[in-house]
Amino acid sequence: MKEKLINNLNEYVSMLDERFGNKKLWEDFLITVAENSDDVFLAKQEVLKNVVDFIGIDNFILAVDILSDSLAEFPKDKVLKAALKIMKDYCNERDMVVKELKEALGELAVPIIRVWKDIVLTPLIGTLDSERAQTMAEKLLEFVADVRAKYVILDVTGVSFIDTIVGGFLLEMVNAVRLLGCDVIMTGIKPDIAHTLVKLGVDFNAVTIKRDLETGLKFAISKIEKGVSV
Amino acid sequence: MVILIQINFEEYDVAVKIKEEKDIVVARQMVKDIARRLGFSLADITKISTAVSELARNIYRYAKEGFIYVKEKKEGQNVAIEIVAYDKGPGIENINQAIMGGFTTTKGSLGLGLSGVRRLMDEFFIDSEVGIGTVVIVSKRRRSF
Amino acid sequence: MKQKVVPTIKLYDYLIVPVQIELDDTTVEAIQRQILEEIEDKQIRGIIIDVSMIDIIDSYISYTLSETAAMARMMGCHTVLCGIQPHVALTLAQMGVNIKGIHFAMDLESSIEILNSIKD
Repeated sequence: MKEKLINNLNEYVSMLDERFGNKKLWEDFLITVAENSDDVFLAKQEVLKNVVDFIGIDNFILAVDILSDSLAEFPKDKVLKAALKIMKDYCNERDMVVKELKEALGELAVPIIRVWKDIVLTPLIGTLDSERAQTMAEKLLEFVADVRAKYVILDVTGVSFIDTIVGGFLLEMVNAVRLLGCDVIMTGIKPDIAHTLVKLGVDFNAVTIKRDLETGLKFAISKIEKGVSV
Repeated sequence: MVILIQINFEEYDVAVKIKEEKDIVVARQMVKDIARRLGFSLADITKISTAVSELARNIYRYAKEGFIYVKEKKEGQNVAIEIVAYDKGPGIENINQAIMGGFTTTKGSLGLGLSGVRRLMDEFFIDSEVGIGTVVIVSKRRRSF
Repeated sequence: MKQKVVPTIKLYDYLIVPVQIELDDTTVEAIQRQILEEIEDKQIRGIIIDVSMIDIIDSYISYTLSETAAMARMMGCHTVLCGIQPHVALTLAQMGVNIKGIHFAMDLESSIEILNSIKD
């Protein structure tokens, strides 16, 4: 196969060039195939990557078919195997990027801020899925314990709808915060949210409700200046 | 004759016999180590250990004797921990009531433990027959993020 | 008085009970008994149970703590549960456990502040 390939190199290159373009690419590709037919592209991954990048995986499969039709003993299996490995690498890279993006998004979506000595503010924005709600609860509790907060202001102004599952999560989070000896003030509750929370049986003795962030913050600060009250 | 769901005990990696009160602590510490080794987050390790504590206590209190089995489960890319609580005790008469729980103030009420266990774990299965015994199978997936 | 299960510290008329051992059922019950005896012996007005070293609190332990607080209350004594670890708190909340009749605090300082501010 090697000899036939090298002898007719120009012919094959033209054929592929006509179909897909980029003569040099095909030349490098075919030479590499000819050289390392035992472990195709192991040493020269770049070459294969360039081809796949250039024409995409569908066309690559097509090109491989064309070649194996015109050239007996073209190492179709080995070439495709090598291509699969490259695709796996791409997938892994992309997975890592997705993971980083998810993390960044997670951080953004639920900021936890210490706004005053002993007061932590968590403004909820948008919707929470249950996995993010779980992560948020864990982060909030760690933070509250670290800074020894006395109040958590949970502002839900940015939330127009929560389902009962996320509502339940929030409730659990509130209860957990209280187990740390920290009080929870909820602010910015919209009508739909109020509806869901009441249906869920929120214990309003457990949570202080204030109309908005400003009122909530004022309340917490005044409590702290006065000293702890039970 | 009614038979309980069959468990293949050999499939499991670790077994702890629950016979004395101290075995409850042994079981939950053991599970804690396994969960940590499997790379679960601290929050999940706490949940899993607490669930096992509940299950082991139920065995000790009501059946007097039983086993906790633990194994690592691999589902494709995911890792999960599976725990079986098994006893040949008196069985539970009204399973639904026991699971629904809520928290009664009666000391040692079965419902107390099981409803909590169900909320802490991803999957919860129970089979119990009066006079024959009880099997509880729970599992939790390791979260990736 | 019987043998102490856990070492305790008297501060003003408060009793600090640091729990550093693994809590099995017998131990939990023994601690309960010890606390009640000490409340009587030492004229205690408030107890602070420090659980900052405990990494697993299940429903039975929670229940016993509530029970202890109720018994202490009958003897004129308030109870603060101090130092629940964040993950333990989340687990308890997600299990749906409700610990009644107890104040919660993150550290000894806050615990004492709370007890000081209770007007009985």
